[in-house]
Amino acid sequence: MRRGLRRAVAATAAGLAGLSLAACAPGDDAGSANNTSCTNEIAEPDATRVTLWAWYPAVEQIVDTFNAQHDDVQICWTNAGQGADEYGKFSTALEAGTGAPDVIQLESEILPTYTILDGLADLAPYGAADLEDQFPAGAWSDVSSGGSVFAVPVDGGPVGMLYRADIFEKYGVEPPTTWDEFAQAAQDLRDAGYDGYITNYATNGGAFNYALFAQAGWAPFAYDPAQRDQIGIDVDTPEARHVLSYWEDLIDRGLVSSDDAFTSDYNTSLVDGTYAVYIAAAWGPGYLEGLSDADSGAEWKAAPLPQWDPANPVQVNQGGSALAVTSQAADPEAAATVAMELFDDEETWKIGVEDAGLFPLWNLALDAPWFTDRRYPFFGGQQVNRDVFLDAAAQYPGFTFSPFQVYAYDRQTMALYDMVEGDSTAADALATIQDSLVRYAEQQGFTVR
Amino acid sequence: MTTVTTQQSTSRRPRQRRIGSHLFLLLAVVYFVVPLWWLVVGSTKSNSGLFVGSGGALWFNDEFALWDNVKQLFTYQGGIYWTWMRNSFVYAIVGGVGSTVLAVLAGYALAKYRFRGRNLYFSMLLGSVMVPLTALTIPTFVLLSQLGMINTMWAVILPSLLSPIGVYLVRVYAVDAIPDEMLDAGRVDGAGELRLFFRVALPLLRPAFVTVLLLTTVATWNNFFLPLAVLRDPQLLPVTVGINQWQALSNAGAGGEQVWNLITTGALVSILPLVVAFLGLQKYWQGGLSLGSIK
Amino acid sequence: MTTSTTSAPATAQRARTPGGRRGQSLLDTKRQWWGWLFLAPFTVVFVLFLLVPLAYAFWLSLHTKGIATGGESVFTGVANYVRVFTDADFLSGMARVGRFVLVMVPIQIGLAVAIALVLDTLATRLSKASRLLVFVPYAIPAVIGALMWGFLYSPRFGPASDVFGIFGLAAPDFLSRDLVFGSLVNIVTWQWVGYYMIIVYAALRAIDPSIYEAAKLDGAGNAAIAFRIKIPMIASSMVMIVVFALIGTLQFFTEPTVLRSVAQGAIPTTYTPNMYAYSMAFSYSQFNYASTIAFALGILVFIGSYVFLYATRKQSGLK
Repeated sequence: MRRGLRRAVAATAAGLAGLSLAACAPGDDAGSANNTSCTNEIAEPDATRVTLWAWYPAVEQIVDTFNAQHDDVQICWTNAGQGADEYGKFSTALEAGTGAPDVIQLESEILPTYTILDGLADLAPYGAADLEDQFPAGAWSDVSSGGSVFAVPVDGGPVGMLYRADIFEKYGVEPPTTWDEFAQAAQDLRDAGYDGYITNYATNGGAFNYALFAQAGWAPFAYDPAQRDQIGIDVDTPEARHVLSYWEDLIDRGLVSSDDAFTSDYNTSLVDGTYAVYIAAAWGPGYLEGLSDADSGAEWKAAPLPQWDPANPVQVNQGGSALAVTSQAADPEAAATVAMELFDDEETWKIGVEDAGLFPLWNLALDAPWFTDRRYPFFGGQQVNRDVFLDAAAQYPGFTFSPFQVYAYDRQTMALYDMVEGDSTAADALATIQDSLVRYAEQQGFTVR
Repeated sequence: MTTVTTQQSTSRRPRQRRIGSHLFLLLAVVYFVVPLWWLVVGSTKSNSGLFVGSGGALWFNDEFALWDNVKQLFTYQGGIYWTWMRNSFVYAIVGGVGSTVLAVLAGYALAKYRFRGRNLYFSMLLGSVMVPLTALTIPTFVLLSQLGMINTMWAVILPSLLSPIGVYLVRVYAVDAIPDEMLDAGRVDGAGELRLFFRVALPLLRPAFVTVLLLTTVATWNNFFLPLAVLRDPQLLPVTVGINQWQALSNAGAGGEQVWNLITTGALVSILPLVVAFLGLQKYWQGGLSLGSIK
Repeated sequence: MTTSTTSAPATAQRARTPGGRRGQSLLDTKRQWWGWLFLAPFTVVFVLFLLVPLAYAFWLSLHTKGIATGGESVFTGVANYVRVFTDADFLSGMARVGRFVLVMVPIQIGLAVAIALVLDTLATRLSKASRLLVFVPYAIPAVIGALMWGFLYSPRFGPASDVFGIFGLAAPDFLSRDLVFGSLVNIVTWQWVGYYMIIVYAALRAIDPSIYEAAKLDGAGNAAIAFRIKIPMIASSMVMIVVFALIGTLQFFTEPTVLRSVAQGAIPTTYTPNMYAYSMAFSYSQFNYASTIAFALGILVFIGSYVFLYATRKQSGLK
């Protein structure tokens, strides 16, 4: 019914357009999705062409490497924007029924959002299930469900604590290893005369805030792609209240700032000594390097994320990405080849690690000495992978996201912002998020458990 | 001027008022110019100089990086910035001229021809001025993809040919600017309708033409959300979308990509053509803008 | 508007009356075709890129597609409209836009008219230069303008801390929840006042100055001339710029969207109805409900602008 009308509308429109455009129609009409010009050079013009959307700047080199190695498949790469920008275009293309690429880079947290729209192809029939032991368990559970594999992990975001060793030293405070010590250190730094904040709690952190909740055992969603009309929503839990009250208290006492993340001001505060600690995923250091000349006296070190219960440490993940094949792929098999093989060699990963600051989720890279022992000049030569991130990645258990994750993040930002502005409390904020998500899920036709 | 001097001799009030007026203007100018001044200063700074410079926000740093920034515009991402500039020119000129031509023809017809459905048409047109663009973005996207035009220049140009407000302005202007008697006299002399349009109407419509051209060219030059939705090839983007992407890139900071210096310099270079055009062509458009004064 | 709709049947009747000359009506028929011919190119674009998309969007708004129900589109009639007019996010966005109209439109128009009136009485070099300089922001794309102001509002990039520092004060946070409304008003005012000013100024220059001489002889002061003569005489220009400002404000979108990138807390995705519709569609894939929001907004904008145009039809020359 819907298709029919869309076609009728399009036919009318196309007829009308024909009247005025006959003279200036674009040259080739067939297969417009594959006619898009590629940002990279195609080495083998006659090979099957697979379109790819990906946003890392180093992707061009990686694509070139792939194209040089394959004479039957060639990747045509476009940067369609990072994160939300790309997702917006992908959503529109899914709604329109055309315009999506064959392979798309996504964060694994967004996968359920697109699987429920039938936007992604199951890669298991193309042999992706066999790849399971090439990736850490948590990362694999984020991209697979039952026997289905919806994406191939690329890079991850195991979370650690980056801190300014020079600031801690100057004020005579020990870097914390638990959250209790962290709160104490915040006060000690202030008492010792440090006029910055120990760290920042960003209300628009999205995945960052999720990671902090998750560390206390928070599991807000119960969702199985095989039962797509059922969802469990449990945002407002004792664990979440405990974590959020902790931060609310530090913010109220003026020890932690609540600036928006992902702005130039925030970036500068990260590097100029306004924050003494940057709780960051493994890609965080690459983020800082671009501005490292803002404070020449800075001495950065990485340490494991502080724990709630040091006897039972819990590791979390923030961000990272995976490659998925879209439901509009012209040749799903060739597309699956690209998704599975683009990042499966060391040469590629050396580019990814050295040029893009990525943290691989590919075991062969995670085990390779050039990666584990790599010394990072930004951290004064510290082997941060060995010291912090490898353990964090190995122990990350996976996380279930909702099939409307962008909405959930937006609502979280609104509620947390109300809290830091003093209009509500941690408990109110979580209750508000819970209510709005349940209402939204019901409007979408879910049975909410 | 002479009246002013004679008045001055009799009373001090007009002079005070003139000083007051000039002060008011001066304040207004400062308000409108300071952000631009900031942009000029900002584009002479390096990436980190923007954050931690000796000069503060409104003055130059010791280091003068404008030329380096401009050079970097030519090399960063293969000099894609200049492709964006070219695209913006193409979109603005084709979209602006095209929509103006259509608007003048349509506005003239609505003002000077009586035909069935004319009033309904005009009412629909007026209503359409108020349609929120978001209502159109999705269906337009579907339509363009059915036509195979997504991710082509046509996807930006064709929808920008639509300027209901332009038709509205021409129609309002043409009603009084072109006397019916002149057209009727022409018809009595045996002139065809086309000839009447080109020889009689068009010269009289020149101010409206200029106004609408200005309006539509600026609108297409400023176009943001349509290209954002229908283009994904970076080589096709207009400069507005491109710079905004640089900002998103710098905010997200993937892999240390921070190009604030290119954003300020790129913004400055991108506004120069239109500013120069406005300043250089003022005698043309200022006359044209008196359109609203028709009684 | 009503006057114009009634005039059509009136002319048709005149042609059919016994007194009407047959030749005249034949000519009218031929001329009708010319009218449509001149309209044709625009009509194609109008149908293709306005009516067809609009019809499709309307169709979307009458259907619902829950993401949990397998993507099947179901006809739900006005259910989406019932939902939108009881949706707290939509209503608060509408209320906010209403506040923008009440604050932003008078400020823009007032400032534009004030500058134009001052410029009209002066013929100095400064006045000529300032006329151009006030206009320049109009030549700057809204995206770039909003981006620039985002920098200027920033405590680090911007000059606010320097300027307030002179007086020993801490700079206010322009991007906080309390101030972001004013910050947005400022961006739009900065961008558009010059354009409105030029329109008003051009209209003022077109008035025959001898009228002022007559008024002066009657003892009218400058203020009296401005308010009693100048402003009434440029009424049609005033109506036009108010319509521009009104429509622009009701559809407020670009500036808050661009500024949102540096103030995601203070400017939520539901800040204006247009932003709400946009995020519904492009962030949440809720195209049906997004179309409903856009239509609901369109209906309200339509009613608002129509009422205004109707009330001012004499001044705007639409009679």
